Amino acid sequence: MNLRESVGIALGALRANKLRSFLTLLGTIIGVGAVIFVLSVVEGLNRYVSDKILSAGSNVFWIDKYGLITNEEEFENADKRPDITLDDVDFVRLGMRHAALVVAGGDATVPVRHGNKVARNVPLHGRGAGYDVVEDYAIDKGRHLSDLDDRRRQAVCVVGPEVVDEVFPGLDPIGRQLRVGEQTFEIVGVTKAKGKLLGQTQDRFVTVPVHSFQKYWRSQFSFYMFIKSVDQASLPLAEQEARNLMRARRHLPPGRPDNFGLSTADTYLELYRTLTGGVFALTVGVAAIALLVGGIVIMNIMLVSVTERTREIGVRKALGARRRDVLTQFLVEATTLSLSGGLTGVVAGVAFALLVSLFTPLPAAVSLPSLFLGVGMSCLVGVFFGSYPAWRASRLDPIEALRYE
Amino acid sequence: MLISIRDLHRIYQVGAEQVHALNGVSLEIAQNEYVAIMGPSGSGKSTLMNILGCLDTPTKGSYRLKDVEISSLADDDLARIRNREIGFVFQTFNLLPRADALHNVELPLVYAGLKHEERRQRAREALQTVGLQDRMKHRPNELSGGQRQRVAIARALVNHPSIILADEPTGNLDTATGEEIMAAFSEIWRQGNTVILVTHEADIAAHARRVVRMRDGHIESDVASPQRPATAPAGSA
Repeated sequence: MNLRESVGIALGALRANKLRSFLTLLGTIIGVGAVIFVLSVVEGLNRYVSDKILSAGSNVFWIDKYGLITNEEEFENADKRPDITLDDVDFVRLGMRHAALVVAGGDATVPVRHGNKVARNVPLHGRGAGYDVVEDYAIDKGRHLSDLDDRRRQAVCVVGPEVVDEVFPGLDPIGRQLRVGEQTFEIVGVTKAKGKLLGQTQDRFVTVPVHSFQKYWRSQFSFYMFIKSVDQASLPLAEQEARNLMRARRHLPPGRPDNFGLSTADTYLELYRTLTGGVFALTVGVAAIALLVGGIVIMNIMLVSVTERTREIGVRKALGARRRDVLTQFLVEATTLSLSGGLTGVVAGVAFALLVSLFTPLPAAVSLPSLFLGVGMSCLVGVFFGSYPAWRASRLDPIEALRYE
Repeated sequence: MLISIRDLHRIYQVGAEQVHALNGVSLEIAQNEYVAIMGPSGSGKSTLMNILGCLDTPTKGSYRLKDVEISSLADDDLARIRNREIGFVFQTFNLLPRADALHNVELPLVYAGLKHEERRQRAREALQTVGLQDRMKHRPNELSGGQRQRVAIARALVNHPSIILADEPTGNLDTATGEEIMAAFSEIWRQGNTVILVTHEADIAAHARRVVRMRDGHIESDVASPQRPATAPAGSA
């Protein structure tokens, strides 16, 4: 058939008027570009999350005062709950049969100082022994905090590599004194760099034994606990066991809701999926509107083209073109148009995603299926919105079309 | 008989009114005739040409082309017959403006489903027969009126149709160029083609060997051309 000819006519028309072509295809370009961009970012986030959040301490869940809070009302209710104490953590540790580790945690933010070097707003972690396993920290220099440090409430700490860069530039920090808030701690270890998670550094912190944390900061905040089950299979058992222990300790009768929060990586993953799902749905909506507008513009251009070329259609019919030949020709032209827009959109979306991943903390990973999706969508737009003009062209009466001025 | 028309009627509905463009026309045209259909505007000659060219179908009556009844055919069958049996030459040339001469001549072969190389070859040959072998890559706007009409003639000839149907082929040309084009038609006829010429100009019609005059939707006269001896027997209506 005259496929090559139709494609050639469409491309020729595109080349002949570049600005008009660009404006014609803008809707398609934006629609496809937006989908490719968002798919790339969501894909990047997915890989990121599964790499970092999920691998950080497998089979670990948390019990804290609040749980996963997503609105203010939940927060106000949860704020009235009793705090979790280190005794609660010990109680759970003693009662658990399916747990490999139960690690207490408490957090604050402090300035740290050495000589005249100061780092402000450094996260301060109070942690029981085993924190390195549940939080997946490896030591770079020196050693981890030990159970003995904790029991003796020692003034020792492990710091993240960024704290070293800020406060001890060019020095070996092991054995040096660090002012943590109003207290002096000895640095016994530096962790290996973990890099950033969603733009947040994971290497700027000071970790001290949790009982030292309690002793010096007498936290008015609630503690919490990390619980690591023996293995994957016992994770649900461990969760149930920890929940029962906490409920028993707080004398909660059956039917009353938990007055503490229990969350797993799945809880956060679900929140994350809800969030990206929302973003994705929004983008699909925007892209759908852009494609609709783009499609209508293409339909309009094709209707103009059919009118302008009425005589040509008449000539073709007189020379033996059947209805379906004319239909195919204009469908191919419309699809060539929209496909040009789609390919431009794919390139623009990929380029934008790569730029964003280079210059912002948002990760991006281009997936091959999303490229096919983009190209496929633009094809569909061409076929769908091109079919009415093509149908009109194919139904033209050759005598009237030949007479058309 | 190549063409056999019996009691042909074509009625147009214009608003509430019925217009009898053809009112009982009968006509026979044999292989290798050179016929001019003449008449003033409104005589029905254009309607007759459209039906002869399978662009239109009659309201009533029979049109047999090569013993095939045309009047009851569907759209796509008419397209196929136009492609194989009819070669159109129009007053306004009707070439595709964006395509070069070669491509314009190729067009009927595209719809005939021929392969690219064969199309090229036959289009080149057709352009050679009208003397345009060195204008193949020119677009219509780079050609003179006479050259454009010769491209159109090459296009009409390229698929070896049964009838060359020319509608006022010299209407947009000056007299000298018109004569040139008429000479081309005579040559085509001499090579064995059937040529039907639709015109309102007597000196153009005089090139034909038989003149059919129409008035008010029926045939007024059908005679061998008075100036030159007819080589084909003049059919009687």
